[in-house]
Amino acid sequence: MLVTAVLSGLVLGGTYALLAMGLTLQYGIARIMNLAYGETIIAAAFLAYVLFTGSSVNPVLGLLAAVPLGFAFGYFVYGLMMRPLVRRARSRENLEIDSILATFGLLFVLQGVMLVLFGSNYTSYSYLNVGVNVLGTNIAANRLLAFLLAIVLGGGLYLLLTRTLWGTALRAVAVSPGSAPLVGIDVDRAARFAFAIGGALAAAGGVAISMYQTFTATAGVVFTMKALIVVIMGGVGNVLGALLSGLMLGLVETFVATYLDPGLTLAATYLIFLAILLWRPAGLFGRAAR
Amino acid sequence: MPISEMAMFEIRDLSLHYGQHLALDHVAATVGKGETVVILGANGAGKSSLLKAAAGLVKPDPGASIRFAGADIVSRPAHLVLEAGIALVPEGRGVFGDLTVEENLALGAYAKRARAHGKTSRDLVYSLFPKLADRRKQFVNTMSGGEQQMVAIGRALMSKPDLLMLDEPSLGLAPVVVGELFAALGRVRESGLALLIVEQNVRMSLSIADRGYLMEAGRIVGENTATALMNDDAVKRAFLGATV
Repeated sequence: MLVTAVLSGLVLGGTYALLAMGLTLQYGIARIMNLAYGETIIAAAFLAYVLFTGSSVNPVLGLLAAVPLGFAFGYFVYGLMMRPLVRRARSRENLEIDSILATFGLLFVLQGVMLVLFGSNYTSYSYLNVGVNVLGTNIAANRLLAFLLAIVLGGGLYLLLTRTLWGTALRAVAVSPGSAPLVGIDVDRAARFAFAIGGALAAAGGVAISMYQTFTATAGVVFTMKALIVVIMGGVGNVLGALLSGLMLGLVETFVATYLDPGLTLAATYLIFLAILLWRPAGLFGRAAR
Repeated sequence: MPISEMAMFEIRDLSLHYGQHLALDHVAATVGKGETVVILGANGAGKSSLLKAAAGLVKPDPGASIRFAGADIVSRPAHLVLEAGIALVPEGRGVFGDLTVEENLALGAYAKRARAHGKTSRDLVYSLFPKLADRRKQFVNTMSGGEQQMVAIGRALMSKPDLLMLDEPSLGLAPVVVGELFAALGRVRESGLALLIVEQNVRMSLSIADRGYLMEAGRIVGENTATALMNDDAVKRAFLGATV
């Protein structure tokens, strides 16, 4: 039972990590608290579903459509909705409040469109739903694939941010936006790219989720909250923190569900959230820009 | 010396309001190629505002002219002013504290004009500030004020500027560190870079300068060679603590 719990915890955690990395880019670099983040996830899940059931395109290929679309959507939303807010914001707090209100509205617009298109039923499809033996435990192949995707995309993003000048510039905007123009960084452009990459990661996460979970048009907010909790656990803007915290949250939730009671998972999640807000408001790993 | 003929950097009619407050009032100033110029003045005279406006960090009132190497740069945002060849080391240094020395310097060469020269610029900075070479992997916010100032200056030099502007570089530093800092700035100057320095340490800054301006209440009220300013009674009284 322990091995099963660890494995499914890591699978769930991998998805959380992927989702949180996207949100931490949007919140930490672009300074936009995007409440409609989960709707991008769900939209990508529906896209994977439509491609798979309608045209039998497998979800891994579906990523090739979902990820660029997620990027384009983020890029477009930033330019259209967020940039005017950024321009008029007198302070960071100001922008935070404005962006929360604006994306709260966007949340219901996107949710409404998806309700019209897909209804409010639970949706799922069966892809690679075969057991694979890992360390003596049976685990569904689609879950393993989702975990692999999270590790590859998350690890790739981490390397991009830490090993390239371009990524270092994005982190510089996260830690000292006021100083970034002094080295020639166009902060507005960096923010727009960070927001768009966040959208791409949300889309990737949505496709991963659709492979092994049921979802509904109204489930977005749950994912936004989970991602936000992981972001705050890891430290806002801290990508490695998001990766580690995501895995941790997945493990904790699975252990609580396995050994205590499945009904307590959400309670445990929010207990961790409250504890961190109270005692480690900068996150478990600090705000270090790694 | 007919300065106006050789001015690489020329500010004219530069006024700046913060709300109702007039911070700069029709300021005119020049810096020649390879020249070192200091701006002296009391707190609140507008010295920092002048550098910020020149760097594109604040927008001056309409009608101002800031020309650099023949181009009008007055309406450019800060990241494009840097591309034109003007780097600013701001008051308080403005380093990326959560990043390492190496990352700060690498970002210094982020500008297109500097990117291809990253490695040679880095060697130059490390030879100018050998301490930084020993601490490449250290996070900048764990360093002393003097070391952070070296990072800030090193980062600015990485952008291969033609004009380096420094806002109160010695602020809050121990006297021995200030000595080291100005020795390093002297070497930067010898490399042919033009410097525009706002500094409270008047004696030190005049010692490496060619020329100086006096500022008061947002206006330029005097201009002379560094040697003449050093011996000027008004300057002595106001800034050098002499009882003449």
